[in-house]
Amino acid sequence: MLKINNLHARVEEKTILNGVNLEIKPGEVHAIMGPNGAGKSTLGYVLSGREGYEVLEGDVTFNNEALFDMEIEERASNGLFLAFQYPVEIPGVSNMEFMKESVNAVREQQGLEPLSAAEFLKSAKEACKQVQLPLDFLKRGVNEGFSGGEKKRNEIMQMILLKPSLCILDESDSGLDIDALQVVANGVNSQRDDKRSFIVITHYQRLLDFIKPDFVHILANGKIVKSGDASLALKVEKEGYAFLGKEFEGVEA
Amino acid sequence: MSEQIEQALERKYDAGFYSEIESETFEAGLDESIIRRISEMKGEPEWMLAWRLKAYETWLKMEEPEWAHVDYPKIDYQSISYYSAPKSMADKPQSLDEVDPELLRTYEKLGIPLHEQEMLAGVAVDAVFDSVSVVTTFRSKLEEAGVIFCPISEAVHKYPELVKKYIGSVVPRADNYFAALNSAVFTDGSFVYIPKGVRCPMELSTYFRINEMNTGQFERTLIVADEGSHVSYLEGCTAPQRDENQLHAAVVELVALDDATIKYSTVQNWYPGDENGVGGIYNFVTKRGICHTNAKISWTQVETGSAVTWKYPSCVLKGDNSVGEFYSVALTRGRQQADTGTKMIHLGKNTRSTIISKGISAGKSNNAYRGLVKMGPKADGARNFTECDSLLIGDTCGAHTFPYIESRNPTAIVEHEATTSKVSDEQLFLCQQRGLNPEKAVSMIVNGFCKEVFKELPMEFAVEAGKLLEISLEGSVG
Amino acid sequence: MSQWLNKVIDDATKVQDYLAPVRQQALEHLRAEGWPTGRNEAWRFTPLSSLKEREAAIDQLDSAVASKVESIPGVDSIDIVFIDGQLVSDLSALTLPAGLQIHSLTNATQTQQTEITALFGAVKPTRHLFGLVNDALCQQGIYIEVQQSAKIDTPVRIVNLATQDTDAHTRVLVNMQNNSQCSIIEYGSGTEQSFTTAFAEYRIGESASLEHYRFAFFTELAKQVGGSHFSLHDNARLNSTLVGYGSELSRVDVDIIHAGEHAKAKMNAIYLLGEGELFDLHSTIEHAMPNGTTEENARGIVGDRARAVFNGRIHIHRDAQKTLAELNNRNLLLSRRGIINTKPELEIYADDVQCAHGATVAEIEEQALYYLLSRGIKRSKALVMLNFGFIQELVNAIPNPAIRDWLLPLLSKRFESMEVK
Repeated sequence: MLKINNLHARVEEKTILNGVNLEIKPGEVHAIMGPNGAGKSTLGYVLSGREGYEVLEGDVTFNNEALFDMEIEERASNGLFLAFQYPVEIPGVSNMEFMKESVNAVREQQGLEPLSAAEFLKSAKEACKQVQLPLDFLKRGVNEGFSGGEKKRNEIMQMILLKPSLCILDESDSGLDIDALQVVANGVNSQRDDKRSFIVITHYQRLLDFIKPDFVHILANGKIVKSGDASLALKVEKEGYAFLGKEFEGVEA
Repeated sequence: MSEQIEQALERKYDAGFYSEIESETFEAGLDESIIRRISEMKGEPEWMLAWRLKAYETWLKMEEPEWAHVDYPKIDYQSISYYSAPKSMADKPQSLDEVDPELLRTYEKLGIPLHEQEMLAGVAVDAVFDSVSVVTTFRSKLEEAGVIFCPISEAVHKYPELVKKYIGSVVPRADNYFAALNSAVFTDGSFVYIPKGVRCPMELSTYFRINEMNTGQFERTLIVADEGSHVSYLEGCTAPQRDENQLHAAVVELVALDDATIKYSTVQNWYPGDENGVGGIYNFVTKRGICHTNAKISWTQVETGSAVTWKYPSCVLKGDNSVGEFYSVALTRGRQQADTGTKMIHLGKNTRSTIISKGISAGKSNNAYRGLVKMGPKADGARNFTECDSLLIGDTCGAHTFPYIESRNPTAIVEHEATTSKVSDEQLFLCQQRGLNPEKAVSMIVNGFCKEVFKELPMEFAVEAGKLLEISLEGSVG
Repeated sequence: MSQWLNKVIDDATKVQDYLAPVRQQALEHLRAEGWPTGRNEAWRFTPLSSLKEREAAIDQLDSAVASKVESIPGVDSIDIVFIDGQLVSDLSALTLPAGLQIHSLTNATQTQQTEITALFGAVKPTRHLFGLVNDALCQQGIYIEVQQSAKIDTPVRIVNLATQDTDAHTRVLVNMQNNSQCSIIEYGSGTEQSFTTAFAEYRIGESASLEHYRFAFFTELAKQVGGSHFSLHDNARLNSTLVGYGSELSRVDVDIIHAGEHAKAKMNAIYLLGEGELFDLHSTIEHAMPNGTTEENARGIVGDRARAVFNGRIHIHRDAQKTLAELNNRNLLLSRRGIINTKPELEIYADDVQCAHGATVAEIEEQALYYLLSRGIKRSKALVMLNFGFIQELVNAIPNPAIRDWLLPLLSKRFESMEVK
């Protein structure tokens, strides 16, 4: 599904990624952990094509196609979804019309007919309920005046509606209380199947109690320095990042 | 990113075609004899001619205003033709069948079919082509309700008392340079009278079309809503794409008597000129309404066209408890310049006004809000709320806000807020990450920015306005 | 043309000194512009008729009338006093802290003349009629220099008193070198028939920081027009507080020019207008460079037959990306015979900026007032309690606590006297 080969990237003259290698197969859940500034969010942005993130070296294939040849929206309509850590507000544009546009843009790419208003409304309502947001959130402006937790749940709702093949969750757990965390995790788990893959970027092991990863990778200094199974996350939780070497001593997970 | 936005904003002007129609057009130039000839063409009574001549005399003594934040070469008023009408209109066709089919096709092309059976139910249309009204639909149906909706040139004959009483009562002849010019040379426009207690059974609308070269359009609209009546009116305007600038100097007067409501919506799409600022309409318009006790006037405008716009639809809130509203979206790009806003003059007690203005500037355009809120000494308990938001797209345009506030009453409350924002990279990125192309993303964000105004448009036209903005933004939003 | 202006031009042609080139330019402007008409935006709401045909009773003062200048309690300031336009302080007798220099414009050395000429008219825009008059005529004034990295703790107070019916024109030039710090108080007052123009120009060097006050306490018959104009260089800081009373004609112009990047300016203005008074504040904020920040709050209370004019302009130039600028104007009108004209303007040519302005004219909370009255509180007292709060907020924001403590009772007393009969 996704193959990252020796990826180097920089933001504003500062090199953040230093040769990341990662392969994700359909249906797999990969967790990416690492200390602050390791390049976790950058990886998500580079994959989704955010402006200002410059690829210096390496290549990425997504469903056997060169990812970096695609525009941001092409990547999205081809099934790459990024759940933002800090989703931006778009005043006046209702969640509903926004999501209808994106769902239909993705459907168009897949050669499907656009959903009728009624069909869309039905699935939107279901998704809304699933992430336990009141239905009036559909009418409100995109993220406008939402609390941090509501924004995160709104992202998951969009993920459910868009049915992407690769979901990148950028710290979808940060700032959430345990109940909200459960809601987010349930939303994600409901979407897991043998075709859909996930990259779960997180600071805390806690989320991985709810979303069981197949693999855990530690990203440090722009590289994956260690990979393992779910137990690696527990080790980080307990010991911090000291085992990565001297410079990480005292850095807590 | 801003390059992408710029691209998304490239627009074509769909209404830029010219119709081959045989016309009778006056030679260019303005003097007393031209005014006499216009009056003669219209077969006007003596009082109307006298009124025009007085206006002309006043105009000669006035100077073109220079205070607006717009810049254009001096207009040569002698190079403009002040009258042009399709030849076929000379002997006043009695029904649509007698109207030049090319004329009807013109309106069809603009999406305004004039055959009643094809029309949107519930909308009556007056079609003004250059200097004359071509056809007014649904007149018989309106007459049943007692509503008068006809060309103003006809009203001068048929309802002289009403016209005499109200013309110039809201916008006096000497009000300003362009209003004076209009008073002298106006050729046609719509006249509406809603009798006491009548709720106009359908939306009324006028479509203005400038077709001939080197002509100016000087229409005059007068709407009188008698006590307790209610009317919603919409105007639309288009012109062919030409390299020369053309002048449009209209006057609109609204009279809302006690307890009456007038809702006046404009979708202005005059030719804006090309990206280098060649051609386009100079749109210098005076619009004002007077509200008597408990009356309400609501102006909504979506301004996307014209090379230069100079326009301040206003409300004189004379009667106690009267209400004035102004909702505006003005989009400028290329070299367009807009200086638009409103005046809310609070004279009566407990009068209320709301101003929501959304300006979007792109390209090398300049977009200014200019407004006046005035609280008179007798306006006890009066209130105004103003919100002016500007959206800048790119760093070669300008967005300006010039709100004048004057209060002479200690119990009046005025609140004014203005902000400026841009289409942020984050917003664009989020939309694109969800699969929208930049064009669609920008037009969605801009539409969202304008939502408060669009929701004020009558249902039938909200869609039209959204579409217009889409064309303007070359995007497509469902 | 006005009789008064003709005389100004006449008088100015006779002034011959090292500032002649600047004066000449000003004169040309004056001749070209002439007396402002009602259409002139800068004077649209401020009647100048009382000035137009003015004839000062005293043409030229030989010696100034000595007058006692009260100090601000708790503020141990270096005082420089002008009376009726004449510098009466003996500058040579002042003991100045290290890094601070003050010269008179009249007996400046050759080097000082060069410095003065460089700053004179460099910050103040030429659009201002009376600024031009001041350029052309003012001979009395001072030049203050704060040397690089000097931190001057003692505030410098420049006092301008109008006591007689004469025209007085004074100028203050302040040159703050990089990294310096100081506090300057411009204080003006008078009640008698008189006309004062007092303009100050400040160059705030890189990373320099100015704490500034202007008290325009001219009342009754005293007419005054003046301005404080600031040019901020990279990382400069300005904190300015302006307090204005109204008189027959009182007008202050403030210009804050961001000539360098990352400068921060904060300005608070308060005006309290008693019966029949006029006060006009025009402020212009020019963001010519990126990354600047400006926050301006102007609040006023307008009494019976009084008129307040506020024009606040924010101008963001094409290059001034990442600017943050906010302007807020709040007014309270006490009488239906009073007038408030306010116009907060934005003129923006850069897209990546955050700008906002707001203006309100509010009413007295009738219900709250009624409540207080019904508890036996006097109407005037009740009004103070209810409405003085938003003025007090700005007073509380004054960085110098001694000035705060001195000002608050002063303003609250004035407000109480503004009761509408």
